[in-house]
Amino acid sequence: MNDYLWDGSGEPDPEIQKLETALGRFRHNQPAPEFSQIAAARMHPARASQWLSSSFARWAGIAAVLTLVAVACLWFALRHANPAPGAESRWEIASLAGTPSVGNKTIAKTGDAGKWRNGQTLETDSRSRARISDEATGEVEIEPDTRLRLVESDLARKQLALDRGTIRASIWSPPGDFVVDTPAAVTVDLGCAYTLHVDDSGAGILHTTLGWVGFRLKGRESFIPAGAACATRPSIGPGTPYFEDASATFREALTRFDFGAQDTGQKSAEVTTILVESRKRDALTLWHLLCRVPEADRSRVYERLAGFVSPPPGVTREGVLQLDPQMLDTWWNELGLGDISLWRTWERSWSQHESAGKH
Amino acid sequence: MGVALDRSPIIREAPNLSGLPVGEISEDSRLVAAARMGDRTAFGRLYERHARLVHGVLLAHAPFAEVDDLVHDVFLIAMRRLDSLRDPDAFAGWLLAIARNRAVDFHRRSRATEELPEETAGSDPGEYEARAALEAIRSLPEAYRETLVLRLVEGMTGPEIAARTGLTPASVRVNLHRGMKQLREKLGRSKTDE
Repeated sequence: MNDYLWDGSGEPDPEIQKLETALGRFRHNQPAPEFSQIAAARMHPARASQWLSSSFARWAGIAAVLTLVAVACLWFALRHANPAPGAESRWEIASLAGTPSVGNKTIAKTGDAGKWRNGQTLETDSRSRARISDEATGEVEIEPDTRLRLVESDLARKQLALDRGTIRASIWSPPGDFVVDTPAAVTVDLGCAYTLHVDDSGAGILHTTLGWVGFRLKGRESFIPAGAACATRPSIGPGTPYFEDASATFREALTRFDFGAQDTGQKSAEVTTILVESRKRDALTLWHLLCRVPEADRSRVYERLAGFVSPPPGVTREGVLQLDPQMLDTWWNELGLGDISLWRTWERSWSQHESAGKH
Repeated sequence: MGVALDRSPIIREAPNLSGLPVGEISEDSRLVAAARMGDRTAFGRLYERHARLVHGVLLAHAPFAEVDDLVHDVFLIAMRRLDSLRDPDAFAGWLLAIARNRAVDFHRRSRATEELPEETAGSDPGEYEARAALEAIRSLPEAYRETLVLRLVEGMTGPEIAARTGLTPASVRVNLHRGMKQLREKLGRSKTDE
């Protein structure tokens, strides 16, 4: 690789230099805002000091502070005497349309908000929509005819369960913190926006808008980057992810391969169609297929994938055909779709969580 | 059904998710701790250290005219939510997640109102070329897009991009190499079309 592109050293590439000069006009050049003033303005100091300047207000202020301290002590004592289930949850629910419900309570007015506690179920009917938000985690919009449960939410982990319906999630907490169970797979946000739909049979489909998302069921896993989708079925788990602009023939063959074909012969026929129809961008799908195709078809998938993205140094044909995990991960990182170490980190922490008996 | 991957025997070192060299991490960590105590100068230092990165990531997704405002939004959100950041060493990655989310939110709101075209260039041919190059970068796959903007617009080096984004140096190399190749093809094609 040209060292100039990598770190600016070596012989300058005139074309890159020209681009740098042209694009330099868009470079960040704003000084830091006055954060101290922003913070002060948020607290409205002028109004506060004016109010406190009257002696009456000063005494009222002292009384108010004492009252607050008393209320806080009472709250603290009650909370520790009888901790409320789900007290750690900081999710707020707001109605966007109609009358979403939590248990037997409805959120009647659009704009009404309330707290959502661990173990509670949020439901929307055909005419209602809702939004849940947690400042530290992100926002999720709940579409009509959806049933969503808050399984667990604490500082370390937010786990929801989508029984049916559609959610649109925009997540900014660290990768792996936000998890949604479905009847057919666990969805793990790796940063940061996606739509997830589950039908009445428990089958689901996930579309990633930005960043990437992991789908997992009992060791079967799929990584879905922005622009890609992945279906999932109960008792089978996540199918093979694909870019949504792949040809219809490609996508149909993939669906039959994942969820329709019963025997090796049928699967091989679908693999042939997938390989013929694949483009360079479909390396995403081919990488996943390496672990899923019948053994006899694996070398065909390897050749096609290697034709699109050369295996990097240290990744051998033999190793890949034997499904060497380290080599598969190294090859994945060559696809330019995200660094797989994020997912592996999540897997480690999830395994610890599971073995601790929390899930 | 496909063969499930059994990766249980593989034990790896936990990666440094912040992506920053150790010295850089402790500096971020120190500044985050000070900012949490109300030291706004420390937060200003965090802005100076990471604004270029946030600007680059936003520029890869949002119109240039909006990016400065979005950068400010991202830092204001970060300032408000600083207490919710569990690992101060992960500040850079956390900030990037906020930036990407803010870009999604911007597009969602734009679609709900009206998608305005990017401001057209004036008579300056240099500006026209620059906008064409930026548009070409924006049409690349996401992984290449952000890396190329950080390298060609923000002037960061490959090692610096790896350190700040949490990507491995190998991934950044691949993104730069492949992204540049595709960019050359796109720019070559648009010149041929003229």
